[in-house]
Amino acid sequence: MLELKGVTRHFGGVRAVDGLDLLVPEGCIFGLIGPNGSGKSTTVNLITGLFPLTAGTILFRGERLDDLPTHRRLQKGIARTFQNIRLFGRLTVWQNLWVAQNSPEDRARRSFFARWLGGRRRARDEIAHLLEFSGLAHKADEFAANLSFGEQRRLELARALAARPRLLLLDEPAAGMNSEEIGQLRERILALRARGITILLIEHVMELVMGVTDRIAVLNFGQKIAEGSPAEIQADPVVRKAYLGGGAT
Amino acid sequence: MDAYAVSVLTNIGLLGFLALSAYLVLLAGEMSFGQQAFFGIGAYCGGMLTAMAGWPLPLAALAAMAAGAAAAVAVALPTLRLRGLYFAMATLAAAEMARIGFELLHWQVEVAGEPVGPDGTQGFRGIRWVFEAGLAPEGYAVLVWTALAAVTALLAVAERARLGATLRAVGEDPALAAALGLDVHRFKLGVIAASGGLAALGGVLFAHHNTYIEPRNFDVMLGVHGLAYALIGGLGTVFGALVGVALDVGLLEGVRVFQGYRMIVFGGLVALLLVLRPRGLLDEETVRWIGRRFS
Repeated sequence: MLELKGVTRHFGGVRAVDGLDLLVPEGCIFGLIGPNGSGKSTTVNLITGLFPLTAGTILFRGERLDDLPTHRRLQKGIARTFQNIRLFGRLTVWQNLWVAQNSPEDRARRSFFARWLGGRRRARDEIAHLLEFSGLAHKADEFAANLSFGEQRRLELARALAARPRLLLLDEPAAGMNSEEIGQLRERILALRARGITILLIEHVMELVMGVTDRIAVLNFGQKIAEGSPAEIQADPVVRKAYLGGGAT
Repeated sequence: MDAYAVSVLTNIGLLGFLALSAYLVLLAGEMSFGQQAFFGIGAYCGGMLTAMAGWPLPLAALAAMAAGAAAAVAVALPTLRLRGLYFAMATLAAAEMARIGFELLHWQVEVAGEPVGPDGTQGFRGIRWVFEAGLAPEGYAVLVWTALAAVTALLAVAERARLGATLRAVGEDPALAAALGLDVHRFKLGVIAASGGLAALGGVLFAHHNTYIEPRNFDVMLGVHGLAYALIGGLGTVFGALVGVALDVGLLEGVRVFQGYRMIVFGGLVALLLVLRPRGLLDEETVRWIGRRFS
């Protein structure tokens, strides 16, 4: 599904991501973990094209991704959420979902003729469905800036789904959530996988990562130091050292 | 109606185009100090086509709009790489170049035994299409306001469509808009082309209202007024820009008490509003509130 080969990004002298190889198979939930500053968010930003690669290639469904501008990558079926919530605060909840409908299907539907053949109504139905799914139907006409923290998080996820992604990049979706909310998030993530969406999950909250992923890669200082099933990762001495510190051997 | 009132009404209409053009660029998240150049390009193009080439006004207006849009895109292609203050400065510089270009433009032809055409700093006189077509000032005011109403209606419809929402999205957070699959650069170019065309339309109508134009009509203060109208009126709806014009020209010019102090009052009003209501009188919250009352 998604393949990173030797992906590298330097910021000045800092090697934020350094020769990263990653293969995310279709239909799985892939975890990407690592201590603060290990290059996880940078990796997501490189995949979505927020800044260019220093070296390496990214393939999505066999196609080169890294030479496309951001909006073209997203139109190919990749959606993301942000570590710090990012919504259009001056648009309503409904409009936030409306402007995110940019999948090839939706774009075809907005062509002149399709529009009169019910394309517009289907777009509205889908937004209604997404609002229902995320429990925001009663807030449809509220400005996104006026939502509570939890509601904003749910809107971010709904917005990512409005893009009909094949691949969903979740950048620390559980940050700031309590244990009950994490449980609900876990259910939502599993429900998405059941719909056939591949998920790359970046997360600090081990309670979520270990319970939901099929495979995990661990980053440290921009390099992959381990990869395996959740059980293997938990037992890995290199990973323990990276997390718990262990300069003293 | 007395001639003065008609003239004030026409002026509100003419500046309305400039305000709408500034409003569009502001919605896309940029602040242009150069819209006066496209107003000027429209005035010169339209004036030359009717007075020198003998075109009818509607046709000349369309050509001038195309020229304004093309000029706006030509300025935007290099300057859109810049952001914020730098974009504002680059557009200001481009507009000053256009104004100096008008000063250097000498091109007169013989029409009915008289030289007609732009004559550098001496200006461009004899744009008499309206007079020759037998249109009274009232008739011309109706023409200006019809054109403005048509443009405003079109923009109001576009604003309620998905296009309006995407434009606001691009203006609020371009990086996020791109991350949702929106082609930010194309949107901004499109909006800037439209804003150039709109300003040029205002310019054509201005030239034919005045019958005489000169380069200093199109200095930076004109552009600053356009921006201020859009900011005072509010960025929540297309009607905000028109409210801004009506407030300045109508109130300040209509009420004689303010005569002579106009720029002080105007500047004060802008400063006050930017502090109290950063997105203008008719901002998004207010527009939604009004919308709810009437639905």
